[in-house]
Amino acid sequence: MFDLTKSWDIFLSKFPVFMDGVQSTLMLAACTVFFGFIIGLIVAIFRRTKIWPLRILMNIYVAFIRGTPLLVQVLLIVYGLPQLGVRLPRMTSCIIALAINSGAYMAELIRAGLQSVDKGQVEAADSLGMNGFQKMTNVILPQAIKVTLPAMGNEFIAIIKESSVLYSVGVYELTYQANKLASTNFRYIETLLVSAMIYFVLTYAATKLLGLLERRMRRGDNKMV
Amino acid sequence: MATTKWSDKKWQGVDALTAAIPEANGQPEASWDQLSKEPVKAVEGIIDTGNPGETLIEIRGLHKSFGKLHVLKGIDMNVHRGDVIVLIGPSGSGKSTLLRSINMLEKPSEGSICFEGKDVTKLSKKELCSVRQKMGMVFQQFNLFPHLKVKDNISVSPRKVLNMDSQAAEQRAQALLARVGLADKLNEYPERLSGGQKQRVAIVRALAMNPDVMLFDEPTSALDPEMIGEVLDVMKQLAAAGMTMLVVTHEMRFARQVADYVLFMDDGVIVECGTPDEVFGNPQQKRTRDFLHKVL
Repeated sequence: MFDLTKSWDIFLSKFPVFMDGVQSTLMLAACTVFFGFIIGLIVAIFRRTKIWPLRILMNIYVAFIRGTPLLVQVLLIVYGLPQLGVRLPRMTSCIIALAINSGAYMAELIRAGLQSVDKGQVEAADSLGMNGFQKMTNVILPQAIKVTLPAMGNEFIAIIKESSVLYSVGVYELTYQANKLASTNFRYIETLLVSAMIYFVLTYAATKLLGLLERRMRRGDNKMV
Repeated sequence: MATTKWSDKKWQGVDALTAAIPEANGQPEASWDQLSKEPVKAVEGIIDTGNPGETLIEIRGLHKSFGKLHVLKGIDMNVHRGDVIVLIGPSGSGKSTLLRSINMLEKPSEGSICFEGKDVTKLSKKELCSVRQKMGMVFQQFNLFPHLKVKDNISVSPRKVLNMDSQAAEQRAQALLARVGLADKLNEYPERLSGGQKQRVAIVRALAMNPDVMLFDEPTSALDPEMIGEVLDVMKQLAAAGMTMLVVTHEMRFARQVADYVLFMDDGVIVECGTPDEVFGNPQQKRTRDFLHKVL
């Protein structure tokens, strides 16, 4: 049988091990969101371009990533790249895999944000003589990203959780650490519950922080609360 | 049995009604219009205000179609520096499209528009940007940037497009705002302003680029009646200061007071033109008389 009070003991006695995992998980999530956002931004903008081969390429990327499992993508990058002669530290290739995955979802979010910007805004920017880049950076993107921010937050939270698939390629993130620990103390329920609680605290804190950020960004508009 | 009879009768009644509606019998909708209107006759030759100032804009043979809809059917006109030209006419007559063609927000299907000697319909993207900097535009829906404070709405394009330094751009914004009576709104977001205030900020935003011509696309149509005056006052000041202005409006009193020249458009052509006294006082065309009769 299991004894949940043991969870607490395990948490306290193996605190550094868990914190190692938390550190890796957060680092992965932060890097993924950062690079995923950049990829998403570029893809979303290129999907509006008049150069059709580029547009089709971007559409294929988004469709492929959204239509295949994350685990398969991770395995492809982590074990596939070395086969092509590209040897990267495990952590780096994992971040690349997650960022490529997340980028496709972010591209969709940003696209929706770009579409939500009123046509009049573009016309106003045009009439002031802004070029494409000035229009994008000063008028369209700030408004589009503001609309996208809540969904971006959800994406960040999803990545914190989804990064647990990296356990299967031996990255020392939270799930890997918990599983390794459990296989030595045989207290799977207690140990894994600790990791679940840690995930929950992380995502809950992230939700609250993002809510705060969103409220700050809301200054100056009249949307429903 | 009784109920069937009743419903038969009802449907007969509807048939009798639809028989009187031509569209219901496959006839084109336009048949009603054609009954009440004779075909439009455009003013012949090139419309010119006769102002001695240099010619800023030359429009020749301008046509614009949206798919099958032929909106502009041949416009030829000159605009001189210092002209205040007001375009009036029923909705759908093409006056907004004409105005929006001048800065290429609508791409003409045919014809040319020369601004300061350059044909804007044939410019590269980069050249078009620099031409647009010289043409301020004010929209019916204001189109202020909601994510920027009033001062940034005004100074963003001088800073980014004209590379003016931030301090100079802000000072300029401040000075212009004071001229339209909004000096205290520098740090507000547009959402906190009334419609009339928003439109005045929009005018200032366009002026901040130091344009050679200002295009007004129904600037007061989205405003509550009590706010129209404050916007028109700013426009009057601007006209008095010698700004070249093209104004699409439904404010006939404003047109009469401020315009040097009035164009009446209908069905994609300029039907009548002249000084306000000529067009309002003694319209020559039946279409103009009908329109003025409806709106005055």
